[in-house]
Amino acid sequence: MEIIIEEITRSHKLIARHKFSKDHVNIGRGYDNDIIMADPHICAQHLSLNYNGEEWILNDKDTVNGSFFEDDFSKTKSAVNQNIVYSGQVFALGKSLVRIIFPNHSVPESIRFSPFENVVNLTRHPLFLTLSIVLFATITGWLFNLHNPVEVSFTQILVPAVGLTLLFTLWPAGVALVSHLTKHEARFWGQLGICFVFFNLMWMSDFIENLVSFNSSSQSMFTLLVSLLPISLAFCLFWLNCYVGFHMTSKRRTVIASCLTLLLFGGSFLIQLSKKPEFSVRPVFNTTLMAPSYLFTDSNNVQGFIENAKSLFTEAQESAKKDK
Amino acid sequence: MKGLITLILLCVSTISYAAEQAEEIFKKLAPSLYQIRLIDTASGEKSSIGSGFQISSDGLIATNYHVISGFARHPNKYTIEIFDHQGNKAPLTLQSVDVINDLALVKRTVDSEMPFFEIANAVPHKGEELYSLGNPHDLGMIVVPGTYNGLKKESFNDRIHFTGSVNSGMSGGPVVNKNSEVVGINVATSGNQIGFLVPHDKLRNLYESYKKSPPDSIEEQMAAQLANNQEKLVSTLLNSEWLMRPLGEGLVPTVNIPFIRCWGESNADKNDAIVLAVVANCSLDENTFLSSSFFTGSVEMEFRYMQAKELSDTKFYQIFERQLTQVMPGNKAGKDDVSEFQCQHDIVTSSNQTITSKAAFCTRAYKDFPKLFDVIYIAISVDKGDQALLSHFTISGITQSSALSFTEKFMESVTWK
Repeated sequence: MEIIIEEITRSHKLIARHKFSKDHVNIGRGYDNDIIMADPHICAQHLSLNYNGEEWILNDKDTVNGSFFEDDFSKTKSAVNQNIVYSGQVFALGKSLVRIIFPNHSVPESIRFSPFENVVNLTRHPLFLTLSIVLFATITGWLFNLHNPVEVSFTQILVPAVGLTLLFTLWPAGVALVSHLTKHEARFWGQLGICFVFFNLMWMSDFIENLVSFNSSSQSMFTLLVSLLPISLAFCLFWLNCYVGFHMTSKRRTVIASCLTLLLFGGSFLIQLSKKPEFSVRPVFNTTLMAPSYLFTDSNNVQGFIENAKSLFTEAQESAKKDK
Repeated sequence: MKGLITLILLCVSTISYAAEQAEEIFKKLAPSLYQIRLIDTASGEKSSIGSGFQISSDGLIATNYHVISGFARHPNKYTIEIFDHQGNKAPLTLQSVDVINDLALVKRTVDSEMPFFEIANAVPHKGEELYSLGNPHDLGMIVVPGTYNGLKKESFNDRIHFTGSVNSGMSGGPVVNKNSEVVGINVATSGNQIGFLVPHDKLRNLYESYKKSPPDSIEEQMAAQLANNQEKLVSTLLNSEWLMRPLGEGLVPTVNIPFIRCWGESNADKNDAIVLAVVANCSLDENTFLSSSFFTGSVEMEFRYMQAKELSDTKFYQIFERQLTQVMPGNKAGKDDVSEFQCQHDIVTSSNQTITSKAAFCTRAYKDFPKLFDVIYIAISVDKGDQALLSHFTISGITQSSALSFTEKFMESVTWK
């Protein structure tokens, strides 16, 4: 009778899979076993599996640490001896786990390649990857030049541009490392490709945010709407990171991506909040300023501006009364 | 030779005459002259000192507002005491203030009629010898002879320019003429024998109005004085002639009033600068003291013209953005005095369609003086690629309507050539 025995990790990740076409299978540390385990907590002759014509019977050979049936349902472990084995059951021998499966055990439906797979394959293409990294470095260098009040030479730009690009590489590298450590395929280039596409999209969303806040007045709600853009981009990035690096259900992927987004934006919001002084003498308003070629909006007139200002006096007066 | 001897003799006799006169004045006036101490109730120690003098037989004493400002702002934290020339002390109560002219009236209880200083009826003539009395640095009462030099020029609220040493601690002390009549009150110094006095008529006005009806609440009295003064200042500003002056390619207003003084600066001499910057600013030299951490009454206007030399428009405006973030209020005020600023911003084009700017307007309200605000306005033109004009003003302690009228006139005045 055929039987499949899988060696698995404690998180039930597959280490090795054996298939036998006989009625007696021995597991233990001794070299005469069918499956030779390395775990020192397992005895030389640990466990035997015998087919009695109808069922497989598991027999612990009076071992030092015993064998246990891992009950998924109650999460308890019970010692096993002369037990009938069912397909899919997991047993603990020493500190190792094995899963026993019969050939007729059903497998989950095959997963179709999702369209994201093509996107990932495109972004990890060497040409595309190089282009997006170079684009990122160029934008970083250009922004460095823009924010510097003096004239900057090319070499002065090069250092922060390359430095920041390397710094941003740490994220995909970190995700790939975690994938590797959790026995998934690392797919470093895939992660790198996806990340730099999104980093570039983030620059774009920054630009759009600036453009909108420059063109809108303090009464406008657009600024608030546009601030959702980086949040959704970050969510998409984390979602794809999970998709590329880990096998998980889509629900779980969504939860993890949401948590990471919340951590990133909630964390930075909390940091800002904690840095905010109790009382600020400095006036706070949106100071975004861009060149006239980026101005698309119709401008207000002086009377309109003065009219809008009236409500500020009421607000200030109320806040003074409240804090008194 | 004879002439020389006569001159020397004359000088000696003048000096000895002045010394004699000072001595006589001091002796005569000492009983009505006091040191005023602000005592911190919690520690029981003095937290500030000044001078004061009696102006009525029933115990009314005049001093500077800034000497007793701690008590006026926080009546529960301090008490006021006087020390007379014999070292006796007595408690005082605050009766009336004039924050604009830095005057205050305090009162001691008296059993019998007491000697007091007469307030002069006439203004001294230029060069007249005056005697300033007070207790500098807690060293004891002294008399300082000096000269009357008329009223300070370019000043919105009158101050006498007195050539003589006025030191801290003498604040609130009287300045008398040869007839021992009060012609001014010590208030400030610019060092090197330049002292400033509050003219006697301000004290007379305060005293007269106190006699007529003492104020119900010092806080309300202060609020009314601040509002009136700023109203007067802003209407003077609005009604005066606004001259348009070129600043680079821009035209900016300057107010033709002597007490608003203007200064200018540029980096035209720096060949390596990537932006040509020309700055002009005008401001009122004086402000109103409310407490050591709270000033009001300031007016400031600033204009900057910037032109990019070899710079992309994008970087030019990026550099300019920094100037928006650096805007600060023109007066000192703390958490207990004012609310935080409420701001708005918009893209605004002036009525004559000559300039389009990104403008921001902010205001904060006074907590103790209702309907008084500090305002800040800043705008940067966004209609020319390689040149921009910044216009900015701050006014403190102003009412809503005055602030808005001023803002409107200011916004409409700034244009391109």
